[in-house]
Amino acid sequence: MDDPADLTTVLADVRRGMIPAHVYNDEEIFRLEAQRIFARSWVFLAHESEIPAPGDYVVRRILDDSFIVVRDEHGAVHALFNMCLHRGMQVCRAELGNASHFRCPYHGWSYRNDGRLVGLPFHREAYGGDAGFRRSDQRLLPAPALDTYNGLVFASLDPDAPPLREFLGDFVFYLDYYTRQSPSGIEVRGPQRWRIKANWKIGAENFAGDMYHTPHTHTSVVEIGLFREPKAEKRKDGCTYWAGSGGGTTYKLPPGDLRERLRYVGYPDVMIDKMLREWSPAQRAVIGEDGFMVSAASVFPNLSFVHNWPKVGESDDVLPFISLRQWQPVGPDETEVLSWFAVDKEAPEEFKALSYKAYLMCFGSSGMFEQDDVENWVSLTSTAAGTMARRLLLNSRMGLLADDEPVVAPLEWSGAGTAYVGYGEYNQRALLARWADCLETPVRTPSAVGFGTGS
Amino acid sequence: MTARPLPFGDERHLLVHQWLVDEAYLLDAQDYAAWLDLMTDDVRYVMPVRVTTGRAAGFDSAPGMAHFDEDRYSLGRRVARFATEHAWTEDPPSRLRHFVTNVRTFATDSADELLAESAVLLFRSRGDVRESALLSAGRRDVLRRTADGLRLAHRTITVDESVLRMQNLAVFL
Repeated sequence: MDDPADLTTVLADVRRGMIPAHVYNDEEIFRLEAQRIFARSWVFLAHESEIPAPGDYVVRRILDDSFIVVRDEHGAVHALFNMCLHRGMQVCRAELGNASHFRCPYHGWSYRNDGRLVGLPFHREAYGGDAGFRRSDQRLLPAPALDTYNGLVFASLDPDAPPLREFLGDFVFYLDYYTRQSPSGIEVRGPQRWRIKANWKIGAENFAGDMYHTPHTHTSVVEIGLFREPKAEKRKDGCTYWAGSGGGTTYKLPPGDLRERLRYVGYPDVMIDKMLREWSPAQRAVIGEDGFMVSAASVFPNLSFVHNWPKVGESDDVLPFISLRQWQPVGPDETEVLSWFAVDKEAPEEFKALSYKAYLMCFGSSGMFEQDDVENWVSLTSTAAGTMARRLLLNSRMGLLADDEPVVAPLEWSGAGTAYVGYGEYNQRALLARWADCLETPVRTPSAVGFGTGS
Repeated sequence: MTARPLPFGDERHLLVHQWLVDEAYLLDAQDYAAWLDLMTDDVRYVMPVRVTTGRAAGFDSAPGMAHFDEDRYSLGRRVARFATEHAWTEDPPSRLRHFVTNVRTFATDSADELLAESAVLLFRSRGDVRESALLSAGRRDVLRRTADGLRLAHRTITVDESVLRMQNLAVFL
């Protein structure tokens, strides 16, 4: 935005639910997002189950910044900026593996898997030893902030970021449904990774609250008998909720108690017993008394979840699966999708196998739901690039009357945050309001860090 | 593969090669009902997720994760979905061209089964001006002789990219 007044207008429009279409494909906006959202927010990097043993690592990015997410010999998890302190090579060029050390291929500097610099060839001859380059206590630059919730590893590039738990806020109430069905939590597999010519916000918004698209976009999946739920009349009985930094959608389940409803979506009793012990009375009541089952959700800015229960064979039995996914921005018109399959660690092996099958059929790179979603998002993104899209304000006010009063009163239920039954774009507005708050607030540039000299 | 491939003049190789080429034409035409008929009832159709690892790692696919891990039921659902009027991602349809080459055939311990290796390059174009997408992969197939001719019993697709540059896999390889 050359003219700050333009940005002010864009943000004001977004806040009243009228979205300037160009925000879905705009270089200037993307530059601001990189600085003011992705250099500030807590961004998901990995799940601890991806790196269970000492030395296990995965390499993940926050936009252009590459981090080695690694478990050291003492079991601690680090996110190390993947750039040699000397000439800036990537010290790790694999995506995953196990290593006690990372050695730069350029000049052979090597770092222990906790980031500590341990090898500096010809230290004495070339640098005059510690008098020229103080080797002790030097490490690969760590992510400025790192924390976990239920094994989900998040990093923030902002050293002044609030604690992760505070950032997530009441959304943790819902995170537990996806990531804490037993004391052991989840294990994840994947991710599948693929690039789509779509803006990253579209997926985040869709998973946060778009129940309205399900009956239409995903008609084919119902027609082939894979899924009994997305029919229009079913989907509008669900509610959407927003709590803390995230929100999501639910399905209204048929009458029954907590156990019956968990069975209805396909959980075996051995898993249900653990959920009953693990979840709080309010978390149990959302399903058991209020009758809502979580489905898709997003945490600001770009992490989403999905929980669905398709048929995985010729019988009428359904099987639930969970997926985590990240909408990793590549550019204003391109996103890398990272999609993991997640399942409770303590689930029976047979359940894990069928749940994995359910995931592959529905979501991910080949998923039958996902295929149609992406086609829509690519279409929106390409159309948003032009001059006309700078004039068009997309109406994202579903669920609001002209005077900004909601069409229906907020739901009285046991869940955290604010919820509404039926179709509405409450959550998409909440997500983009967060986006607007970030975009209008400059980020303090952290001071530069040098290594080896001075005290 | 330690065994030697069958000579290109061997009748079994010629049969397999023709089967693969005929299959490619069915896939290009998106004649998925006919394609599904070429699968055995116990077919397995797998496309692992490839990952970048060090040479010493000893593996280059993501443990426990695939792009496709299909049986007859799930392939059948995918094909049935394309036959509905609401599979938006392929309406308008992609223009597809499967280039199949480097075919080698091997005899197996079973007289009824042949093993085929091939390379496939898929060109996919959608819309008028959208960038086209390519997918390069190796395939390893077990083809079984039946009364109706050769049928695919097992396919492993070794895709050559870690991050796919294609919006989805609403295609088969």
